[in-house]
Amino acid sequence: MNAVVLPVLPPLLAALALLVLRRGGAVLALAGVTSSLAGSLWLLARVADGQAATLLLPGLPEMPLRLVAGPLSAVLAVAVATVGTFVLIYSVGYMKRESGLVRFYAMMSLFLAAMQALVLAGDWVLLLAAWELIGLCSYLLIGFWFQRPEAANAAGRAFLYTRSADLGLYVAVFLLIRSTGTSEIAASLEAGGSASTAAGLLLLLAAMGKSAQVPLQDWLMRAMAGPTPVSALLHSATLVAAGAILLIRSFPLLTPEALLAVGVVGGVTTVAAGVIALAESDLKRLLAASTASQYGLMLIAVGAGVPLAALLHLLAHAAIKSSLFLAAGDFQHARGGTGFDRLEGVGRARPWAFAGFALAALALAGIPPLSGFFSKDAVIASALSAHGVAWLGPLVLAGTLLTGTYMARALRLLWQGSGETGAVAGSAWMGVGIWGLVVPAAALGLAFGPIEAILDLPAREAEGTGVVLLGLIAAVAGLALGWLVSAPRLLGPVYPWAQRGFAVGGGLTAWVGRPAMAVARGCERLEDRLYAAVLGVGRGGLIIARGGERLEQGLYSAVLGFGPINLAVAHLVRVGDERRIDGLIFALVSGVRALGARARTLQSGLIHHSLAISAVATAVALVILFLASLSF
Amino acid sequence: MGAQAFFLAVFGLAAIGFGVAVFRTSSMVRSALALLFSQTAVGCMFLVMQTEFLGVLQIMMMATEMSIMAIFMVMFMMDPGGLGGMDMTHQKRFSIGAGVVAAGAAIAVALLADWGPVTVQAPAAAMQTRELGHELLGRSMLIFETAGVTILTAMIAATAVAIPVQRLADNGDKEVSE
Amino acid sequence: MTAVLIVALLTGAILFGIGVYGALSQTNLVMIMMGVELMLAGAMVNLVAFWRFLHPESYSGQMFVLVVMTVMAVEMAVGFGVAIARFRAIGSVEMEEAEDLKG
Repeated sequence: MNAVVLPVLPPLLAALALLVLRRGGAVLALAGVTSSLAGSLWLLARVADGQAATLLLPGLPEMPLRLVAGPLSAVLAVAVATVGTFVLIYSVGYMKRESGLVRFYAMMSLFLAAMQALVLAGDWVLLLAAWELIGLCSYLLIGFWFQRPEAANAAGRAFLYTRSADLGLYVAVFLLIRSTGTSEIAASLEAGGSASTAAGLLLLLAAMGKSAQVPLQDWLMRAMAGPTPVSALLHSATLVAAGAILLIRSFPLLTPEALLAVGVVGGVTTVAAGVIALAESDLKRLLAASTASQYGLMLIAVGAGVPLAALLHLLAHAAIKSSLFLAAGDFQHARGGTGFDRLEGVGRARPWAFAGFALAALALAGIPPLSGFFSKDAVIASALSAHGVAWLGPLVLAGTLLTGTYMARALRLLWQGSGETGAVAGSAWMGVGIWGLVVPAAALGLAFGPIEAILDLPAREAEGTGVVLLGLIAAVAGLALGWLVSAPRLLGPVYPWAQRGFAVGGGLTAWVGRPAMAVARGCERLEDRLYAAVLGVGRGGLIIARGGERLEQGLYSAVLGFGPINLAVAHLVRVGDERRIDGLIFALVSGVRALGARARTLQSGLIHHSLAISAVATAVALVILFLASLSF
Repeated sequence: MGAQAFFLAVFGLAAIGFGVAVFRTSSMVRSALALLFSQTAVGCMFLVMQTEFLGVLQIMMMATEMSIMAIFMVMFMMDPGGLGGMDMTHQKRFSIGAGVVAAGAAIAVALLADWGPVTVQAPAAAMQTRELGHELLGRSMLIFETAGVTILTAMIAATAVAIPVQRLADNGDKEVSE
Repeated sequence: MTAVLIVALLTGAILFGIGVYGALSQTNLVMIMMGVELMLAGAMVNLVAFWRFLHPESYSGQMFVLVVMTVMAVEMAVGFGVAIARFRAIGSVEMEEAEDLKG
């Protein structure tokens, strides 16, 4: 079997098995993800020498589905599988007291399979399909506790935001396929001219949606209503990475104008999201804003023309942020919530989890020799060596500063306070998961060299010491600020606005949502009026019909009435006739009877009467004969 | 002719007289005898009119008949002797009227009709008888035969009618009525 | 000459009239038959007169008289048979009581 399918197939099979069998959730999911990890490592080994493994599957006519594993795809696949493995191990402990586990593990497995497919996709159609699939899984997983209104709301909002942005991806793919005639990604990146600019900008739009860049960052913060493993896997390391991955892969396509746009978006996001993170009062939401900010940094790197730096930061951030989230989940279980007011001093109660959290936080801030230091430096270097260094540079440095600030703030809020907490179920599993990611978070910097060697992205210059120093100063200053100064004082008048997530005039809800609803309501009213009009026409027709019916009934009864009148007349005639005729007949009969009665009197039975009558009759006859004979 | 008319008138009156007497007397036997004499007078009239055969026939027959009638009278009459003095008539006025009318009509016809010439000479008796015989067995054979059959029928009928009803056993069995 | 004829005819007529009277007025059956006898006798007289005085060559007249005589005899015979039967049944031959055929 072609090795390229190895990372994709096991989680897919696990998901299907879970859907069919409806039991053995954790076991099957873990089996699937560990097989995927093994497979992706094997794949990496296979393609390390620069060869690409390809698998063609039948797809649309003249557009077969391709799974292509180059070094970049293999590295990403390993990253996804690693994060997935440790998050699932963690979930065994985290979800100990939850119900609906089969659904959870099935969706996580499905998500992993889709993410691997996206990473390994060699043609646009498969990439689009995988893109949609991870969006679907995100919706389902954010809304895992769909009975809670904020979770259901968040899931819907996430879906809407990312789906709207996906339009860019669709149009871009359409443009590329039309202009190059092929759906193979590598080949389509050769497209030049206006198509590539347009495609590049549209791809940026898609990336903005998935990676929660300004102005679409709000969905990520609300997505924290889902279970923490989901936040750790999807919303720190994989799904949100899809946007950055898309831009990194399509870097050859991006024209300077597109790159400029990328850089702008990334820069604005870095600062804005960082400030929001600083103003947040919920640990997970802080981490979510931080994610958006970090991805802004990655976009800056791409915009600066060094996608390699973005990739390194992506890898480092994946390990760091996921471990931060896992630790936050541990705190959540300990205190029953993620608000900073609840989590005061939980660090003291949960030392191992807090240690991991602190380590990852420092790594994110950029303290050597942790991985974040190396990746952050790469990004700063790329920004400072770019064309737009005038504005990219300050933005990068501001982002770095803010990173340290809010991470220190978080550490402070978690540490300071009383350390009482209840027992936490499944903390062994959770501990394994946390530390399984904290270790790479700390040590990944050492692997950057070999990784750079394998990848076929344009090489970067090594950073100068000035860059290193700048980064370090920014990181330490940030940490100090965050630890020592409270956020309201730090942000000053911006604080309330930042707390609302820099919503301008009500945010997207007011700018997009309400007008859309108003239009919808207007359409509904219009439709109601049309409907009423049609019904009115119909009713008018019915009234006419009824009028006609009544008229017809009148005619009918008139005609019917005529009949009985005729019949009555006929009856009268008949009766009268019968009576007359009968009368005549009966009169005749009675007359004859009377005559007969009179005649009877002649029949006296006496002979002499008969003789007398005979004599008279004879005389009469003789007279008649005599008279007759006279006339002749 | 005169003599003939004279004798004719005499016998005629006799006949009429006896005829009236038939109905005037209340004795049955006398009525029968009166009728006998009336019929005999009629027979004599026949003789006067030189129809000897018919006259003799008439006298012979009537004599026999009336005798038998006298016997029957005595058998069946309520008052054969006529001694009771009952008036045995009904619808007398009508009968008289009818008789008068009938006689009057016949007389009127006899007097008013134009009979034409009267034959003076009559054939001889032998000749008459011979001719009558020829007539009887020649032209009027059918009448002769019919008369014979009729007489036979009458004899049988009269006998049958006169036979009394026969009764069988006295214990109420079927009656045979003729 | 016609006087002879007239006399005979007159006789016949009067006999006939007497016979009619008798037939219609008598209550006794035998008396009625006597009336009928008289009527027939009157007829015979006329017939013979007509033969003798008007058509002596045609013997149909005499034939007719024979027939009338036969009729007289026959009538007498049957009538008496009926009278006997009636007498046996009722006990009298009075025609006043003969209402059997009353309609």
